[in-house]
Amino acid sequence: MSSDSIQQAIIMGNVASISVDVNQLLNEGVNSQKILDEQLLPGMAIVGERFKHNEMFLPQVLMSAQAMQTAIDILKPHLAGNSEARQRNTVIIGTVKGDMHDIGKNLVRIMLIGAGFEVVDLGVNVPAQRFVDESLKHEAGIVCLSALLSSTMNNMKEVVQVFRNHADLKDTKILIGGAPVSREFSHSIGADGYAPTAPAAVERVQQFCGL
Amino acid sequence: MSALKRIETSRVPIGEIGGGYTDVIIQAVLGDKYDLGPDANFLNHQSIRKILGADIVGARVTGPPVEMVGIHEEWGTETFRDYWGATHTQPSDATVQLVDPIANSPEELESWRPPDVSNFDSSHISRWKNTTDFFVLATLNAGFDLGYELLGFERFMMWTIQAREIMKQYYEKLIEANLALALMSVEAGADGILIADDLAFNTGTFVDPDYLRSDYFPILKDMVTEIKKQGLPVFFHSDGDLKNIIPDLIDCGIDVLQSCDPNANMDIPALKKEFGQDLAFMGNIDVDLLANGKVNEVENTTRNLIHDARSGGGFILGTSNVVASYCQPENLKAMYAVAHKELK
Repeated sequence: MSSDSIQQAIIMGNVASISVDVNQLLNEGVNSQKILDEQLLPGMAIVGERFKHNEMFLPQVLMSAQAMQTAIDILKPHLAGNSEARQRNTVIIGTVKGDMHDIGKNLVRIMLIGAGFEVVDLGVNVPAQRFVDESLKHEAGIVCLSALLSSTMNNMKEVVQVFRNHADLKDTKILIGGAPVSREFSHSIGADGYAPTAPAAVERVQQFCGL
Repeated sequence: MSALKRIETSRVPIGEIGGGYTDVIIQAVLGDKYDLGPDANFLNHQSIRKILGADIVGARVTGPPVEMVGIHEEWGTETFRDYWGATHTQPSDATVQLVDPIANSPEELESWRPPDVSNFDSSHISRWKNTTDFFVLATLNAGFDLGYELLGFERFMMWTIQAREIMKQYYEKLIEANLALALMSVEAGADGILIADDLAFNTGTFVDPDYLRSDYFPILKDMVTEIKKQGLPVFFHSDGDLKNIIPDLIDCGIDVLQSCDPNANMDIPALKKEFGQDLAFMGNIDVDLLANGKVNEVENTTRNLIHDARSGGGFILGTSNVVASYCQPENLKAMYAVAHKELK
């Protein structure tokens, strides 16, 4: 089986064939990290690029992300026992307190998973302290905050302040996004970055990780 | 109606779709004149439009009261089932959230049936028509926005691929019910019909435009055609960047495109240059400008927009959505005041 078939399964969002293909490669003794790095992640990178250029759309990206998640679930036990396996970076994501909008946040979550990140989604209407608690619990170095409303984007400031004032979390990279948010606003509240779109969010998180 | 016929009026028409103004804004604008009596909703919505000088009122055929079915475990708020069969809740100071969709599998969706709307109440529309001079814009939905509201966004999007035929049937069922609502609105005296149907976000459509062309727009076109047989103009609301599908919306028979959010690169002056012969436009003032801008910024933006977009008609001024509760009342007043000062 060629690596192209796994990449194609990711791009086409083919859950059934990717299960078969990934298991087959593992049975052939291919290193789990190699499958992730050389086949799955490049496949999702193509998906991200195509989405960015309106060559793929949300349903297709969701299908690809589902295929990616299926493959990662199969690889996880092997990665855990693999001395060559890299620690996957964990990202905490959520919509800030007072705001129930989740479409944009979910899109970023999906694309981060597709890019190989371990993502902990806290949902919507998330208080600042919960971001702190979950960051400590998962030892996450990156937090993504979403807000759709002008009235709730100010709650991002509170989250940033709580992190900056916390001895163990002050260096956490905080990325913000959502319709009313801007680069200027990001600077004004002390966040580390702003992303206007989901693919841009993935790029910024990758930059945070030196990828 | 002059604006829709590409006739330039001395003052540009101005107004909002749907409810238009949240209660917080109405209270702030009306102050002591805010009515607290049994007919407060109608009277306050009438008053704010008169004070601001709005030309349009949104109204809709209403269904039976929602049924309370429980308490949301996480938020502690009441959950209620709507007449479509979906269960929602509304946490304080937040938008309505879907708790239980109308279907958890494509098979369930295939057997789902919309409600009989024939006994719904259209008296709101007839009251506005019979007692005021506003242009009464009856609001309803079609297959997409309502479609994912009842199913959940991600489920809806996945099923456009995984259950394509069932989704087409779903659009047909939703549109059949909403067409019935449209015809009831016409009967009640509506001056125009607004189809609210978000199809896009700021960088483009949610789904492939080719999918919309093959699976959705033909059904939407049938709906618009039936409404237009009644002699009413059809407005279409969608957030986001729609430029790739504007020719398709024109082909469907849409007369006015509302929202035109500058954040989605949908500027009316540019859109008019490209599509103004076939389509009128409404909106274009950024809600966030009304929330965070200064009064002089709102005045300048409104003045410039009127200057650039009014020529030849086909332009209705308004916000790119509705006037949200977090907008500044002074900014809202400034926007409307400029519209009334900038006469041709």
